[in-house]
Amino acid sequence: MADKEATVYILDLGEPMADCHNGRTESDLDWSMRYVWDKISTTVAASRKTWTIGVIGLNTDATDNRYARDGLDGYDNISVLQPIGPMTMTSLRELHSIIKPSRSSSGDAISAIVVALKMIEDFTRKLKYKRRIILVTNAESPIDDDSLEDVAQKLNEFNVELVVIGADFDDAEYGFKEEDKSREKATNEKALEKLVSQCDNGVFGTMAQAVEELSIPRVKPVKPFKAYDSLLTLGDPAKYESSALSISVERYFKTKRAPIPSASTVVVRPEHGGPTQNDGDDDVQMGGTEFSGVKHMRTYRINDPDAPGGKRDVDFDELEKGYQYGRTVVPFSESDFSVTKLETKKGFTILGFIPFTSYEPFLNMGESGIIVAKKQNDEAELALSALIHALHELESYAVARYVQKDGAQPQILLLKPNPGIDDSFECLYDVPLPFAEDVRSYQFPPLDKVLTVTGQILTREHRLLPSDDLNEAMSDFVDAMDLSTFAVDEDTGEPAEYAPVDELYNPVIHRMNQAIRARAVHPDRPIEPPAEILLRFSRPPEKLLDKAKPEIDALVEAAELKKVPAKAQGKRYGGRGNSKKDQAKPLSGLDIDSLLGETTARRSATATISPENAIPEFKQALATADDDATIERAVKQMGDIVRKLVADSFADVLYAQAAEKLGVMREELIGLELPGVYNKFVTGLKKSILSGELNGDRREMWFKFVVGGRLGLVTGEESEVSEVEEEEARAVS
Amino acid sequence: MQQRIIAQPKDMMGILLFGTAKSKFRDEVNTRASSGYPQCYLYSDLDVPAAEDVKRLKALVEEEDDPEGVLVPAKEPASMANVLFCANQVFTTNAANFGSRRLFIITDDDSPHARDKASKASAAVRAKDLYDLGVVIELFPISRQDKKFDLSKFYDDIVYRDPAAEAGTSDEVKTSKSGDGLTLLSSLISNINSKQTPKRSYFSNLPFELAPDLTISIRGYLLLHRQQPARTCYVWLGGELAQLAQSETLKIDGATRTVEKTEIKKAYKFGGEYIHFKPEEAVALKDMGKKVLRVIGFKPRSLLPMWASVKKSVFIFPSEEGYVGSTRVFSALWQKLLKDDKMGLAWFIARENANPILVAILPSRNPDDEDSGTPAFPAGLWLYPLPFADDIRNVEHPAPPRAIDELTDKMREIVQNLQLPKSMYNPLKYPNPSLQWHYKILQALALDEEVPETLDDATIPKYKQIDKRVGGTLAEIKEEVSAKAVEVAEVVKSKGVKRETDDDDDDHRPAKRAKPAAAASKSSGVLSNAELKAAVEQDALKKMTVAALKDVLASKGLSTTGKKAELIEKLEEWVEENA
Repeated sequence: MADKEATVYILDLGEPMADCHNGRTESDLDWSMRYVWDKISTTVAASRKTWTIGVIGLNTDATDNRYARDGLDGYDNISVLQPIGPMTMTSLRELHSIIKPSRSSSGDAISAIVVALKMIEDFTRKLKYKRRIILVTNAESPIDDDSLEDVAQKLNEFNVELVVIGADFDDAEYGFKEEDKSREKATNEKALEKLVSQCDNGVFGTMAQAVEELSIPRVKPVKPFKAYDSLLTLGDPAKYESSALSISVERYFKTKRAPIPSASTVVVRPEHGGPTQNDGDDDVQMGGTEFSGVKHMRTYRINDPDAPGGKRDVDFDELEKGYQYGRTVVPFSESDFSVTKLETKKGFTILGFIPFTSYEPFLNMGESGIIVAKKQNDEAELALSALIHALHELESYAVARYVQKDGAQPQILLLKPNPGIDDSFECLYDVPLPFAEDVRSYQFPPLDKVLTVTGQILTREHRLLPSDDLNEAMSDFVDAMDLSTFAVDEDTGEPAEYAPVDELYNPVIHRMNQAIRARAVHPDRPIEPPAEILLRFSRPPEKLLDKAKPEIDALVEAAELKKVPAKAQGKRYGGRGNSKKDQAKPLSGLDIDSLLGETTARRSATATISPENAIPEFKQALATADDDATIERAVKQMGDIVRKLVADSFADVLYAQAAEKLGVMREELIGLELPGVYNKFVTGLKKSILSGELNGDRREMWFKFVVGGRLGLVTGEESEVSEVEEEEARAVS
Repeated sequence: MQQRIIAQPKDMMGILLFGTAKSKFRDEVNTRASSGYPQCYLYSDLDVPAAEDVKRLKALVEEEDDPEGVLVPAKEPASMANVLFCANQVFTTNAANFGSRRLFIITDDDSPHARDKASKASAAVRAKDLYDLGVVIELFPISRQDKKFDLSKFYDDIVYRDPAAEAGTSDEVKTSKSGDGLTLLSSLISNINSKQTPKRSYFSNLPFELAPDLTISIRGYLLLHRQQPARTCYVWLGGELAQLAQSETLKIDGATRTVEKTEIKKAYKFGGEYIHFKPEEAVALKDMGKKVLRVIGFKPRSLLPMWASVKKSVFIFPSEEGYVGSTRVFSALWQKLLKDDKMGLAWFIARENANPILVAILPSRNPDDEDSGTPAFPAGLWLYPLPFADDIRNVEHPAPPRAIDELTDKMREIVQNLQLPKSMYNPLKYPNPSLQWHYKILQALALDEEVPETLDDATIPKYKQIDKRVGGTLAEIKEEVSAKAVEVAEVVKSKGVKRETDDDDDDHRPAKRAKPAAAASKSSGVLSNAELKAAVEQDALKKMTVAALKDVLASKGLSTTGKKAELIEKLEEWVEENA
């Protein structure tokens, strides 16, 4: 649980804030509000009742604060625009409508701080709060600096942080100085700076820096989550009491993937604001919006030959849970169900140890954890520390079985010692390891040698193997592109690692959050392109590329890469080119075509493709065809088979077969560069199907299989010889 | 088949026996047997198998219970051409338009048509038919004791290279050594097991940009994937047979009106309201560039922290489909990274519209390389996802006292003596116990077999061995730890207050200082055990505020929820047990 927060924003709405300064096209107010809106909308986004916000307007035309009401002097032109409370979209919109420059400029910023302090004091009383006042001003209105010390003392007494952000304030650290500053502004600036310096907890900054820093993503802090708090054992304490070692440990998550903001499904309210508007719980919560959430309702159906349509709905209560075993459904009663879960006891026990060399990081399965000794337990601290140091000295990992709680699935974790030499943080890190079922053993050829058909092993001089030149060029390239010393440490000026893990921000999360916040504050503005910092690591740094230019050029030359033209890329089978004769041979290399020659001679004598063995015969007919006439004859026969299948099909039983044959026709004809033949046939087929010529309503065949299976017209993009354009093809669909 | 049902629940399977006296194809049992496919018996048609099919087959194989008399061998050998064509028909009709179709031929006869050249030729033609149909034939030959199965006699003409396999894969056909009965069966099973997973790529033809003008094409494979038990489904038991209930989802709005697809919009919850983007804006928001793997630079491997892990890695392998020469460039990079122990850093978008991540490019050694710690995995490069700053949790914890050297030395002895077999973690040796159990139960229930009592769980440590090998040392360590702990506690006690107040962050709470309970709340967050004990004895806890109590509880690692009385109770309990 995060701490409670109370923040009061003091916004200078004075007349001078409406002016533009220092070459900006925005008024000081709009510019400053970029910072304020971002801050406030972040609070809104959090939707926390305990994060409260109040807003005070300085230099407002009216005056509305309790000191002024009490008749005290010096509190004019200060209005409480919003009392401290949780921030919602509604209050955000209200606030948005009243933030406008006024015509006065005589409000005292210090008085406003006093008002803010009183508000916080009244609201938070003595409770535990993070208290903060943020003053945004351009310091053009007079400040009475008599009581600075009293105010500072009071702020300190109530433990309030004071943040003063000023438009065009001088800031040596950031490197900004306004040249033609008025004397008055300079004095006021000094006064504010003095006040901040007297606060225990104060920040004084210039607006330019604040606005600039808006684009730096803010990582949402998450409180550590304790996943496990029990014993780490070596041996079985139950059975070998004297020898088994048990250490009280705690395990926390070290990494956990931060979720990307997800969209909800909503509908525009049918009658927005109308009398029939539904007042369900959801809507009250979402009050006053034009959207309403969508709920999901599940219905369950079963096959029932007696019911109309062959199906009927069943009640959820009539159903039981089950698993599928092949085609058979195995129902599980509640008691069976518990049996399928392996009974496990919460525990964390070491299986054995392995040296560093026998593990590679790509073996791990996901999020890591951190293991420390239980707090205030000296025995555990000593024992765990001994284990950590022993592992470290021997360069070994421990492998352990981990069950988070009773009944949970066991996991195998790899434990790595961190002896705390660099970071004085002694702990074990852990990552999950795969089980036997999680490993898929696909076969790949070796990368450093080639096995030829004749069984020879080549280790050099083959088109798939790098030459010595290429190896050398690659080596130089990798060394030239080194990042480990590319960046410069900001504090020491020493070379530092470029792009360490803690500087990598998730571009999607922050992009979405920034866009959502921007949209909430300014619903009418278009979305902005992503901030540069988010895409910083999407390409190598320019400077590095310039530096490594000679190595890159040398590598490009040595690599001799050739781009494969788009149309030659095999659609289905990786290496299968146009010369099929290379491929279609059994292991023995027997020339089937000559055998086929005999049989196809037999077959083509009858000159029909049999429906039973259509695809192979069609392919073979095309492969041996010498003239277009033969091909067209084959296509015609194939077409007839397809039509017959569609026409004979009982409901959709034979559609898949027809579609498969269509697909083969399409592919083969593209291969032969005769897409026109296929296009002609498909156009005809469509006509027949839609006109109901093929024995009734066969629309499903067309829409589900032909259109859905991408078996429509062959376009110019797929085959250069096709004259059909993309749109035309779509029209036929 | 039992294994396949578990491994690939949606796959269709059929069994065709050949060389049988009886013939059967679909319903036409023996009616036109001679004209159909003689000596072929379609034992079970190609379909997703049901439990009954498994039972029937099991009975046939294990108990030789053969009511149909299918196991009587024919006097004449079957014509392989017929067998293959029969299989062709089964595939054409039952598995039309399937992506992967495979025919396993199990036989011990390496030369079915030794003398008949014409039959041999027609079998080869039928095999070509199957190849053209896209069916992959895989042979499981069984050698007899006396003679070796000679592929060149017949089957080399039948079996084709798997067109989906990469060029250069050695497509050797392994020969099962013949034994008899059970060993034969089990060796067959293991052979089939190893060929089970069809190789599927996760992405293909992805541009891998090494430098701005240097791009090669790669494919990605998921060699690691966490297997979970299948999802449950809902079953309707009202009828004679258990029936699967199809679920359908309706979207309804607040007024329980069904919502049409066209009405649905996507919006983001924000401060209790919805923020909406137009579809084209939503697309633009997600757009972070085209799919690519783009190298940013290289670093030494040592700069990859051990804990920087969020997700499984993807294996990549070169392909020549986009750029000719990809393989040699890839190989050069692989060799360089291995040689100098470096890693690449890259920006990675796996597919169009996928979320970008940053990955480390890590090489894996050849499985037959002696230095390889991962013989279960092929050589190539891996894309290892790096956590974003957003994904890292900061765990704050005071550093515990450093271990005492004697203890560490004893512990070293243990580490050295408890190495895993071959000093490595081989995942293949550790099946997932919960998954295995789940399948066992499911199978037992589906086939009406007895539910097993226990599971052979490879992930449970060998306690007996541990005790035998290092039991003595462990006992010594235990003794020493408790002895030292007392010592340390003494030392800590004397410096205790100082250590505790070091990280006291509550100085800036002047309001509390003035209160009478100052003594307790001064270092409220981190009362030492002794102070706490004193506080409990003096009944001073009641005077503390809820916030202060929570701080104390948190510092002891206890839960901080509940009312004040409950918080105090928790603390008192803790003190009783620990201090």
